Amino acid sequence: MMMFGYLLATGITTGALYALVALGITVVYKATRAVNFAHGDLFMICGFIAYSFHVMWGMPYVLSLVLAVTAGFVIGALAERIAFRPLMEESLVSVLLATIGLSFVLKGVARGIWGGKGDFIPFPPLVSSTPMSFGGILVMPQQLIVLAGAVAVMLLFAAFFKFTRLGKMMQATADNQKAAKLVGIRTGRVYMYTFAVGTSVAGAAAVLMAPITLLYPDIGFVLFIKSFAAAVLGGLTSIPGAVVGGFLIGLIEAFSGGYISTNLQDVSSYIVIMLVLIFLPQGLFGGRSLRKV
Amino acid sequence: MKMLSVRDLSVVFGGVRALSEVSFEVAEGEIIGVIGPNGAGKTTLLNTISGLSRASQGEIHLAGSRITGRRPTEIAALGLGRTFQLSQLFPGMTVLENVMTGLHLRTRASALAAAFRTRGMRAEEEEAAAKAWQALAYVGMERFAHRPGTELSFGQQRIVEIARTLIGEPKLVLLDEPAVGLSLTRVAELDGLLRRIRDERGVTLVMIEHVVRLVMDVCDRVVVLNYGMKIAEGAPEEVTSDAQVIAAYLGSGFDAARRSS
Amino acid sequence: MRLAFGSRQFLALLFLGLALLPWVANPYILYVSNLAMLYIILALGLNMLVGYAGQFALANAAMFGIGAYGTGLLEVRLGLPYLLAAPGGAVLAMLIGTAITFPALRLSGIYLALSTLAFAMFSQWVLLHWYSVTYGGGGFRVPHLDLSPLPIGPDLGIYYLSWAVTIVLVVLAWALVRSRIGRAFVAIRDGEVAAQSLGIDLLRYKALAFALSGFYAGAAGALYTPLLGYISPEGFDLFQMIIQKSMIVVGGMGSILGSVIGATVMVAVLELLREFKSTQEIVFGSILIAFVLFRPRGIVTLLRRLPGWEEPLSSFDRRRYVVTAPSSPAAATGLARAAAEPTRGEGR
Repeated sequence: MMMFGYLLATGITTGALYALVALGITVVYKATRAVNFAHGDLFMICGFIAYSFHVMWGMPYVLSLVLAVTAGFVIGALAERIAFRPLMEESLVSVLLATIGLSFVLKGVARGIWGGKGDFIPFPPLVSSTPMSFGGILVMPQQLIVLAGAVAVMLLFAAFFKFTRLGKMMQATADNQKAAKLVGIRTGRVYMYTFAVGTSVAGAAAVLMAPITLLYPDIGFVLFIKSFAAAVLGGLTSIPGAVVGGFLIGLIEAFSGGYISTNLQDVSSYIVIMLVLIFLPQGLFGGRSLRKV
Repeated sequence: MKMLSVRDLSVVFGGVRALSEVSFEVAEGEIIGVIGPNGAGKTTLLNTISGLSRASQGEIHLAGSRITGRRPTEIAALGLGRTFQLSQLFPGMTVLENVMTGLHLRTRASALAAAFRTRGMRAEEEEAAAKAWQALAYVGMERFAHRPGTELSFGQQRIVEIARTLIGEPKLVLLDEPAVGLSLTRVAELDGLLRRIRDERGVTLVMIEHVVRLVMDVCDRVVVLNYGMKIAEGAPEEVTSDAQVIAAYLGSGFDAARRSS
Repeated sequence: MRLAFGSRQFLALLFLGLALLPWVANPYILYVSNLAMLYIILALGLNMLVGYAGQFALANAAMFGIGAYGTGLLEVRLGLPYLLAAPGGAVLAMLIGTAITFPALRLSGIYLALSTLAFAMFSQWVLLHWYSVTYGGGGFRVPHLDLSPLPIGPDLGIYYLSWAVTIVLVVLAWALVRSRIGRAFVAIRDGEVAAQSLGIDLLRYKALAFALSGFYAGAAGALYTPLLGYISPEGFDLFQMIIQKSMIVVGGMGSILGSVIGATVMVAVLELLREFKSTQEIVFGSILIAFVLFRPRGIVTLLRRLPGWEEPLSSFDRRRYVVTAPSSPAAATGLARAAAEPTRGEGR
């Protein structure tokens, strides 16, 4: 029973992180119909930036969080301008290729600046490491913070879309590009903000997660694949779907890893992607069937 | 035996009735026009006949063979040709190669034969090139033979597309708005070309068209669709004076008396 | 007859140079050239699938790995001689590549890319974890290439074997795309719907494209095994995938010549930056972005305009169909008829 509890807690916590990153992927996809391959690497860079601020330069955690998220915002906007916007007209495959290129550039930069292959950067925990007990289930306080933080970000996100003008514009563009243009929404700008927001969410996720896992340059891709699995499982056009998908993937990983074999942790997301795209391409909550791109 | 027989054809897409129990027949060698306001289901009709859309109900027969529910490639092999509303010339090939692709069903070289350039394959290629050249000459486009498809104007591409469809020697060709974007002179040329295709090659034509002049001149009969249903059928002059048809295009509040003045 | 320097002459010269290389080059250069030839094969197969047939699949690196592992395992576990194990590995990759076709039929664009990527990651995981068969992450050694009774040592042996196989595969690909098969591929890429209306069977040609790229990648893998003398899952990862994609983007998608050029250029870059993995990543990524943004059709577009460097999708005697400017439409038809008749006494 302890095992179950432990796995459940781990699954939910990592699931929350996948949900956050998947949110970013889905938001960008909804708005632009393109997938940003570099999404995970943007996450990784934000994490390293936070590391620089907090660990290397000794700034307080919350400040580092804010700075990292801001950095994420800026980098996301830049990336959109440079790699995304010019290609949107061309083809979505070009966008994918360009973001693949970007992914490698970011990885190389991170490896060059902060560490080589196999260097795992530890991030000090925010709170004490003594586990707390919830009705027999052992939970690390850091995990709770991650969970709480993730939920907070999700709620902020939802509020942003619902209540702010920019958020509504983003939704409108996502739903119907042409109509949005007709109504005077500057879709180019909106794409940029969409990207930037998606990236800052990833940045927030990175900073939240860094204390409990280690940070290394290749984590970006690993996270991208898993979060993509989550997004696809939830349905690439559904934001709540991304959240649900994230938690599901987290739980699937935790339980298959715990009960069947630790080796299965990584591969379960690959299998999910293949199965979902083949048998249920619209995911759990996706509305229309996938247009052929 | 009719060349094309459509019976009680209905097509439903996620709650929308794109076509409702449409029935009509086309005799061999006829030129039939399909007209109707936008959204009437004309392209859906063509898509369903050619196998790109699935019929929910009803039957379609091509020269006696049942083609409902069959795959587009099978239906093409049975003698159906199709052109599209937006030009579908392949940009990655020259004009001549585009037309040669129309011979796909009539050439047989396998991948192995092609990779090893067997004598049979080379002879087949030469023959295909010769036929494609002739097809281009037939529509007056041979001077563009070696240009990439994209260098032609929209109207020219449509004409080449017709050549590409004809070279497969189809029995029946579906044309989706062949005259769209053509100038008046070009429409007149198209008119002549369509007649020649029917008179000299014996091909039956079914075309969606909005250009009234073309429909009146070239079509033997016209089928009118509105909201997925057939509302009229007959000779062009009859159909265009039919009150229901006019109402469909101009709105039901139109005064019949005013029209006749 | 004028001897123009066209793409054929260029390729002939290239392979002649490669044949003579062992006389002048040191073992390192030989190794890199050998590697370049393998990458030419990889780029060709990938280009046929992605560039010609338009199927943006990301599983080629996995096929490369399956070819290498298949060959190595057949040698080491079943004791097969290399000349039997190699085709076995290539065929295995081909079969698995073809099996991917069925799900691929329903997917396109990004979905195809990511599902094939997931498959590639899955394959790598299998190679890494199926210890009992694949020896896991540690990899395994393969026996030296023994080409007896030919009087040639293992190093030169693999070099010339690669050379021969590369030439054959280049020629086959070259011929294949200049036929109705090539046209069918491009038709599927440029307009699937119209292609179907012309009777082109999507399943069949997509399967063919996947099978070809699988076979080519598998053959490259089979040749890689004796070159390294050692196989491990490392060389068949995401980075490998990017390298291969970059080759066809830089060289030119939908072009045989582009595959050759792209492969040679990228191998050179790869080797120059060998020391620094992080620099490799930055450079490759930047090259990919730069080409996608500014020259998406690749280096080969600079050459295509020149006479002798075109890459048609057909094989017929072009001299029979000379287009001259007509003075009137009637004259045009007349001229066309005259031009269409075979000219007398012309050889091919």
